[in-house]
Amino acid sequence: MPPRALEAVRIESNEDPADFEAKNVHEIYDAIASHFSSTRYKPWPIIAKFLSDLPTGWVGFDSGTGNGKYLPLPADRPGAIWTIGMDRSRNLLDIARRAGEGKVVREVVWGNVLDNPWRPNAFDYAISIATIHHLATHERRKLAVQRLIQAVSADHGRVLIYVWAIEQDELSKRKVSVEDDPEANEKGKDVMVPWVLSKTLAKPSPETSQPEVYNRYYHMFAKGELAALASDAAKDLGLSVGSRESCSSTPGVEIVQEGWERSNYYVELRRWSK
Amino acid sequence: MVRLITHNLLGCHVKNCNANNFPLEFKNARVELVEAEFNPDFLRNFLPKIEWKALVDTARQLGDTSLPVEQPEMVDDDFLKALHHVLLEVHVEEGAMVCPNCKHEYPISNGIPNMVRSYSFEGYNTDPLTIPTKLLAEHEIA
Repeated sequence: MPPRALEAVRIESNEDPADFEAKNVHEIYDAIASHFSSTRYKPWPIIAKFLSDLPTGWVGFDSGTGNGKYLPLPADRPGAIWTIGMDRSRNLLDIARRAGEGKVVREVVWGNVLDNPWRPNAFDYAISIATIHHLATHERRKLAVQRLIQAVSADHGRVLIYVWAIEQDELSKRKVSVEDDPEANEKGKDVMVPWVLSKTLAKPSPETSQPEVYNRYYHMFAKGELAALASDAAKDLGLSVGSRESCSSTPGVEIVQEGWERSNYYVELRRWSK
Repeated sequence: MVRLITHNLLGCHVKNCNANNFPLEFKNARVELVEAEFNPDFLRNFLPKIEWKALVDTARQLGDTSLPVEQPEMVDDDFLKALHHVLLEVHVEEGAMVCPNCKHEYPISNGIPNMVRSYSFEGYNTDPLTIPTKLLAEHEIA
């Protein structure tokens, strides 16, 4: 099947972005939860490595945990670190509770990534995988990054963020057209991504027949956009951006890696103080 | 399964509720005890990051008095086993968590706490540009 061009979407200025996300993201995940979860089982290598490199005794949270597939990691040292999952979809959380092998129950919290329900700087690390691209404005995406930065230790906190990229690779089922949208290569592009619900996994609904296709809102990130967003988010919190050695004012955040992997952009941040 | 490890990390995040908002107090808690794998290395390294008084007080409210009021100087296996049980084996399945300051209730259903605060109802999102500054004033970065 050739990749399918995604439909562009424009969020009207009079539209409440929270309502827009409720309708075009949260409700959709609640409806497609079990089918969605069945397609998300393989951890991305860079994320698995990030978790596997963390010291024993570290505690973190996964903002937008979905079906919780990262909660049981690292596979070779189960229980060495403790990741708490948070998601806005209650139906996905019921799945995330049982993520991984055996009868182990995971810790999950029902919350919005813009919420700040944590004791400040309580965590050693935070991950947010394929989540921030569901927020409908630049300011809200920035706030979501700030939530991650605020939740981790000012001395050693680590943050890993993944979002979908405009640049989809040859294995992707999707493509983002930018020819008619010159700004997209700089600012990213707002699109609707269809989800075709498998009938067998759909939640039975006796009264109404379930629609087959659900459209989820995504902001597809442009090259460099995620690192710039993270850097702005940190600066707005009054933090220096750069390495501990290179910055004169403390505390700060360093971007330790960024890149593109299989249709996603990622960035890893580390907090430091001196 | 709000375990006490999670409870020790959560705080109230109602708008303008910035003091005395930790720890949340359990209300009508239905507790289940579920065995978990004992990992002493995890506990030893996590220990310095625990808000100890909050953990001990909350455990006592739930009827578990196995932890000392002060962290012991000697961390032995008996202590780690008691800590393991309190942190990781006590699950609050139903009930609520109540903020000691503003009394907001966060309900717990089927082991999942509802920490969702809707920005629509908080009046934050009428102008998205105002979100960060407003919230920053409330939660200064330590």
